[in-house]
Amino acid sequence: MEAMIIPQADVLPVSWGWFQFLLLLTFPLHLLAMNAMLGGLAIGIAQHIRGGEVQKQLAHRIAVALPLVIAFVVNFGVAPLLFVQVLYGQFMYSSSILMGVFWILVIPILIIAYYGAYLYDFRFTRLGAAGPWIALLAFVLLVIVGFFYTNNMLLMVLPERFGEYFSHRNGSLLVFDQPGFWPRFLHMMLGALAVGGLFVGLLGRLRKKTEPALAAHAEEVGISTFFLFTLGNVIVGFWYLLALPEGLRNLFLGGSSGATTTFAAAMLLAVGALFGAYKKRFWLTFCHAVALVVVMTFVRSWLRAAYLQDVFTLDTLQVVPQYSPMIFFFITLVAGIVCVGWLLQKTFATFPGR
Amino acid sequence: MNYPVWYLPETGGGTLIALIAILHVFVSHFAVGGGLYLVYAEKKGLREKSQEILLFTKHHARFFLLVTMVFGSITGVGIWFIIALVNPAATSLLIHQFVFGWAAEWVFFVVEIAAAFVYYYTFGKMDSATHVRVGWLYFIAAWMSLFLINGIIGVMLTPGSWATDMNFWAGFFNPTFWPSLFFRTFIAVMIAACYGYLTASFTADRTVRIAMTRFSATWALVAFALTIPAGLWYLSLLPEPAHGLVMGKSPTITVLRPLAAGGTAIFLVIMLGAGIIRPALNLKSVAGLAMAASLVVMGGFEWTREAARRPYVINEVMYSNGIMKKDVAEFNDKGFLRTALWVESKEAGGDRQQDAGRELFIQQCYACHTIGGKNNDIVAATANMSYRALVTYLAKIHEIRYFMPPFAGTEEERRALAAYIAGGLHGKEVLAAEVPVGSGDQGRALFEEHCSSCHESVAVVGGTFAGKEKKEIVDMLGTLNEISDEMQPFSGTVEEGGQLADYLGDSRDRQDQGGK
Repeated sequence: MEAMIIPQADVLPVSWGWFQFLLLLTFPLHLLAMNAMLGGLAIGIAQHIRGGEVQKQLAHRIAVALPLVIAFVVNFGVAPLLFVQVLYGQFMYSSSILMGVFWILVIPILIIAYYGAYLYDFRFTRLGAAGPWIALLAFVLLVIVGFFYTNNMLLMVLPERFGEYFSHRNGSLLVFDQPGFWPRFLHMMLGALAVGGLFVGLLGRLRKKTEPALAAHAEEVGISTFFLFTLGNVIVGFWYLLALPEGLRNLFLGGSSGATTTFAAAMLLAVGALFGAYKKRFWLTFCHAVALVVVMTFVRSWLRAAYLQDVFTLDTLQVVPQYSPMIFFFITLVAGIVCVGWLLQKTFATFPGR
Repeated sequence: MNYPVWYLPETGGGTLIALIAILHVFVSHFAVGGGLYLVYAEKKGLREKSQEILLFTKHHARFFLLVTMVFGSITGVGIWFIIALVNPAATSLLIHQFVFGWAAEWVFFVVEIAAAFVYYYTFGKMDSATHVRVGWLYFIAAWMSLFLINGIIGVMLTPGSWATDMNFWAGFFNPTFWPSLFFRTFIAVMIAACYGYLTASFTADRTVRIAMTRFSATWALVAFALTIPAGLWYLSLLPEPAHGLVMGKSPTITVLRPLAAGGTAIFLVIMLGAGIIRPALNLKSVAGLAMAASLVVMGGFEWTREAARRPYVINEVMYSNGIMKKDVAEFNDKGFLRTALWVESKEAGGDRQQDAGRELFIQQCYACHTIGGKNNDIVAATANMSYRALVTYLAKIHEIRYFMPPFAGTEEERRALAAYIAGGLHGKEVLAAEVPVGSGDQGRALFEEHCSSCHESVAVVGGTFAGKEKKEIVDMLGTLNEISDEMQPFSGTVEEGGQLADYLGDSRDRQDQGGK
């Protein structure tokens, strides 16, 4: 076998565990926001097209929330992207270059989708029948972004394919032909649609006092969407599991006690969430679903490490200690949380009763 | 080398970085200065109890949100994407070294977003004092983002002691940290005022339009005046090579000067004439021109800052092509291709010489040069050079042109690169053999090797030697640095100096005859 091309990693200022912790802390935030964006938008479009007073009202509520959600999808994406580059930069920079043309396309596509979302929000009524089409365009563009992300996140753990650089020097390599690509992508997308349903339910809950009919409808639509798509995603999830290379699959089926326990916890949370949705108990479903997303990011992290274990493990990263910048960051983080808390408090005080 | 090269020979990565970066900084500085502008515009409305000015401020806040939240934040991520694609080695080094600086910047980004949304969506609904405080919180968070990014990107131009000890704080508070911070703060206010001027041009109410036009132009002119001492302070702290490049030695910077000067002049004339003296002249087209002019001013600054650190991407640490300064000696000794990761041809000699040369071009030259593109086209730059001239030129490229990195590799690899450029790109003959001493072509060969990288042909320089004897020409060749500090004295032997003088003398004669 030809030797794999794996770049040398740069040194870390603190132990890798800190970055792993920060990655697992921030990535679920991005995922939850992304799910709210994609799933919320899909439900909004469906409601808008279906028509009816309360349906259109719900579509409008979603449209108003969407730009805000997109802002946080992007923002919450920055931190995990930073930490994953610190831990796996030698793989991720390489994979990004191998698909450079598509990777940089993420930026203009996002800008168009984001402006589309603002247009849908600010001109909701004036756009009339064109509204859902603009929203649909934004949705399709965001799915394309997801498609490119799945390509990169998969390619970065496949250094055995890095040699294809020589036939793709212009950055045109995609790996959707790789076994496991499609269930991985679908698992992510169906998950987004399902959790997006709960976001819609949450939007309704926030309006429970002022618009009870809208709130009830939002919750009904949201929880049903979650139930259906999560059920579908269980099937896709098993397809994904079966599509994994045998050695990796076995880690989650008893091969590694840590991986198996995490995976089993995720399965239990999925059952809990489905049960809650079946019983139409919103908060029970919501809490299980959020915990499920968090635990799934652990599973995902485990899988990434397992893909690369033959060529790289995190504990081989060299550390040249500089701890004071990290302390500075944690102080900043606390100050930032206080500021956001103050902003929320003042906002709720401005809109009492919501 | 350590990372693959995203190879788009006609486009070049630098063009993509410049495109995204200049547009982003134009918006990101607006995102900082705009916060302060909004707070003071709102305070003006409150102080004068003017609902119209408050409405103007709300409209401007909406425009601000649409420009900064969408275009600003996504292109900010875009810069990160593109630098990682075009220069992954430098990006990785800066990400790893300053990860907690970036992470802290992300926290301020969170606060910025939250405050911007609260500011806009509660306008006219929240009590005024709290609303102004939200505006202040936005501005402080945005300015802290600038504070942090300024420290990290400043290290690329003036790394100070970080270049040797890699200490976070030494790099962050690098020698130009403070002047750069002040300079950027004033530029941010100036650009924000320009955006305010634009919003004013769209305002239907004539009284508000005139009031806010004058308000914006005053801010723009005061901020511009403050950038001058900050800029001079900044310039005074640049280390010598960078200072020299900014002051005229860099053709990359020099070529942009008339444009930047023109942009500045247009900006000042509009702000003074159609802002302070006759604010009624603030039409949409005039405001559009002012925006274009301020984009040119901002772009000129960023362009200069980028070009001033040549031949490095991180001054004194990493060259523009991603090669670490400390590694060059080893590459010269052991060979570049044998240690590089992402190359197919590992051997520079033999049948695949030009393939190896192409790999070397991609790895070492492509960071700045395109092939047949608009940006630094290598084909145009080497049009007059023969294979032999290129071999000699590549050996001392960094001495002849300070802003270029040295060639890193063995002599065999240098010949392979020369063979690729001369043979592969130009289709010229690749003659390995030396010209025999005493042959009539010796003078021409020496001209090619020593002069043709800058002088198109002997006919162009022939006039310089008009009416001079051979000895005088030989003496002149020994003191070329006195003619221009961009030239070096002829470095060949005395005999070669004579042969070159003969060739130059003959060319003078040829020119004289041609003239007659």
